[in-house]
Amino acid sequence: MSTDSLTAGKSTRRKSSRAAKPDPQSPDGTPRRRKGLSERNRPLWMLIPGGLLMVIIIVVPLLLGIFMSGLDLDQYSLRQWVSAPFIGVQNFVEALTGSPLLHAIWLSVSYSLIAMAVTIPLGIAGAVATQNAFKGRAVIRSIFLIPYVLPSFVVATVWRTMFQPGSVVDSVLHSVGIDPGLWLNGPQSYWTLILVQIWASWPFVYLLALSGLQSVDHEVHEASALDGALWWNKLRYVVFPYLKGPLSLAFLIGMLHHINNFTLPFVLFGVPAPSDVELLPILTYVTSFQSFRFGLSAAMAFISLILIAIPLFVYLRAVKLDDAETPGGKK
Amino acid sequence: MKFASSAKFAAVVVTAALALTACGGGSSSSGGSAGPVDGKGKKLSVLTGVNNQYSAQQKQWFTDIAAKFKAQTGADVEFETFASANDELTRIQTSVVSGQGPDVYSLGTTFTPTAYATKAFVTLSDDDWKKIGGKDKFNQAALGISGPDAQHQAGIPFVSRPFVMAYNKDILKAAGIDKPATSWDELAAQAKKMTNPATGTFGMATGYKDNFDPWKFIWAMSVQAGNPLVDGKTLKLDDPTVKKAYETYFGWLTKDKIVDPASIGWSNSNAVAAFASGKAGYLMMTTSSSLPTLDKSAVAGKYAYTAMPTTAPGQTSPQGDAANAASILSGDNVVVADYSKQKDLAFAYINLITSKDEQLNFQKIFGDLPANAEALKALNNPALQPVADTAAKSKATPFTGAWGDIQLALLNVTVQSIPDLAKGSVDDSALQARLKDAQTKGQASLDRASK
Repeated sequence: MSTDSLTAGKSTRRKSSRAAKPDPQSPDGTPRRRKGLSERNRPLWMLIPGGLLMVIIIVVPLLLGIFMSGLDLDQYSLRQWVSAPFIGVQNFVEALTGSPLLHAIWLSVSYSLIAMAVTIPLGIAGAVATQNAFKGRAVIRSIFLIPYVLPSFVVATVWRTMFQPGSVVDSVLHSVGIDPGLWLNGPQSYWTLILVQIWASWPFVYLLALSGLQSVDHEVHEASALDGALWWNKLRYVVFPYLKGPLSLAFLIGMLHHINNFTLPFVLFGVPAPSDVELLPILTYVTSFQSFRFGLSAAMAFISLILIAIPLFVYLRAVKLDDAETPGGKK
Repeated sequence: MKFASSAKFAAVVVTAALALTACGGGSSSSGGSAGPVDGKGKKLSVLTGVNNQYSAQQKQWFTDIAAKFKAQTGADVEFETFASANDELTRIQTSVVSGQGPDVYSLGTTFTPTAYATKAFVTLSDDDWKKIGGKDKFNQAALGISGPDAQHQAGIPFVSRPFVMAYNKDILKAAGIDKPATSWDELAAQAKKMTNPATGTFGMATGYKDNFDPWKFIWAMSVQAGNPLVDGKTLKLDDPTVKKAYETYFGWLTKDKIVDPASIGWSNSNAVAAFASGKAGYLMMTTSSSLPTLDKSAVAGKYAYTAMPTTAPGQTSPQGDAANAASILSGDNVVVADYSKQKDLAFAYINLITSKDEQLNFQKIFGDLPANAEALKALNNPALQPVADTAAKSKATPFTGAWGDIQLALLNVTVQSIPDLAKGSVDDSALQARLKDAQTKGQASLDRASK
């Protein structure tokens, strides 16, 4: 069957590319004997069902989205959408020049960065504080995780209720003589969003920081104590290097999550969103499902995909580098 | 084209997936052409909004109507519900793209133009109208938003839900007001008399953060001042009447101070709650479906419904057709999907649910007014009389596929003005700029519609 030849072709190509590289164990270029079966006759065809599923649920929609971004697709052409007029890059031009997309990108990226900049120290502090055993640590750790386990919709609804004009937050601040102004609209809404986002996502950083702390060997603590390192030096030069990996992971995933976060701003502010919090996902949603400009919104979605691909690419590169450092690490 | 073929492939995949999940497959062929429809062994699929207020009653109604339909035609009905407008839209989009799904849809009136624009629903021929008992069977005003003109109508009126205002008889009486206002200016003056911040009582209750109410006010005041908003291919949001409408609407909060300052964060239900607790003279923009709530509240027996003012701000009597623009034409239409293979059966079902008896029965259970003319006449609940009168004095919003966008643009002006409202005054140039923005966006959408 064609699949067989495909697999065979692939493995030969792989072999030749491998052979081209200098291989310490086989300088003459012959395949290593111990890899014989596992490399050459790997039953790659068994990946077909999973691969097919990936194609259907990831590749096809992606291609469709890109295709749609070139169409003048709206409610008038939705019915025969495949034959909607093809207008090339006009949707992209309109998205970049005739819509608030650039403003939305700026808001999304800046809010994500600010939220990350606060959650990382918070997460580390939380993790360090609950690192050593003390009475009631399990309870504290569980409490820390509450924001993380609550559904985003619930978090946003509760905060929205609290931030209503004349509601809990306002009356508390009034009682100490502060007039807080409007939380859910106007310039302050941007900071409301950041505040709620921090509240909801810091436990994620905390979890990853905690996992990093767990990996610090006991001997390292002992050795640094013997060397006379005080708590700050110990933290700075001994513990933090261990956290670098988990925290950069937390940073990247957190950024992706914040930029893509739809539920939080949607439930907090509703649509049409106040212009101070018209984030990328909200704008894409409104364009698609309120204005029915499916083509334009596909173009916006594609632009946001590229935006997200940048940190993702950095992340994948970083992971690959780590992999190469590990001796004997295989793909 | 490489993309086109993959798109077609995807369409096939999507269709296949839908076929697996779609309830009520319409595989059997069309029913008989004349006489009672024989639907033995067939199943009609109906999509309708879920009624959270009366969910048990709705389930009962589904069962009852299915039994009656079975007795008449021999066919089964399967009801599916959607929870929100977004949910409904998603359903319609998938069905439109795949050409498969429910046979009959229930749609809100203002969404009918958008649905019509997709051309996925049957535009009724004279024959089709006969199958559901003829056009004359319906309250003629309710047909105003069934299609772009009398010859092209897809939406069949099912219920009317006109917008009215409720007033607290005691508060009006205490302020020496003997009858509710009929002009917007008079309304503001009356509300001022009733407002007493010391006791937390305000002249009127309305929600500035509601997703629909704000544009309805602007629409009403503009139309009553002679601006239909959409004039052929031209959008007229930059007209002075629209600005005046916003100034009046915002002025209740900033200048007249006759609404609760907290209402910048309210939706309609917050306003209903404020009125129900006896803290407001008028409850604006409500429907007869608030009746069960109010009857169980502190104002039970102390309130009445009446039509909202029809005299535009700054004027003394209704101009032109203003008297007939007391409310947007509101309610539910039913439409039959173009792809349905059992259209006759669908029409038989619609004939049943729009019959006089069924319409009266529906009103009794859910409070919505009948779209059936005879049934509307037969209503004898005096509390509902003003609402029924308003049903005949409702005016359709412009029938264009761009209406959704125009509505959004109107609403957006209010949303972006809320920070100003909170500060106590809306800057004139800022309002002007927002209106200009709304005009540009809405006009662009209108241009696409008339392309």
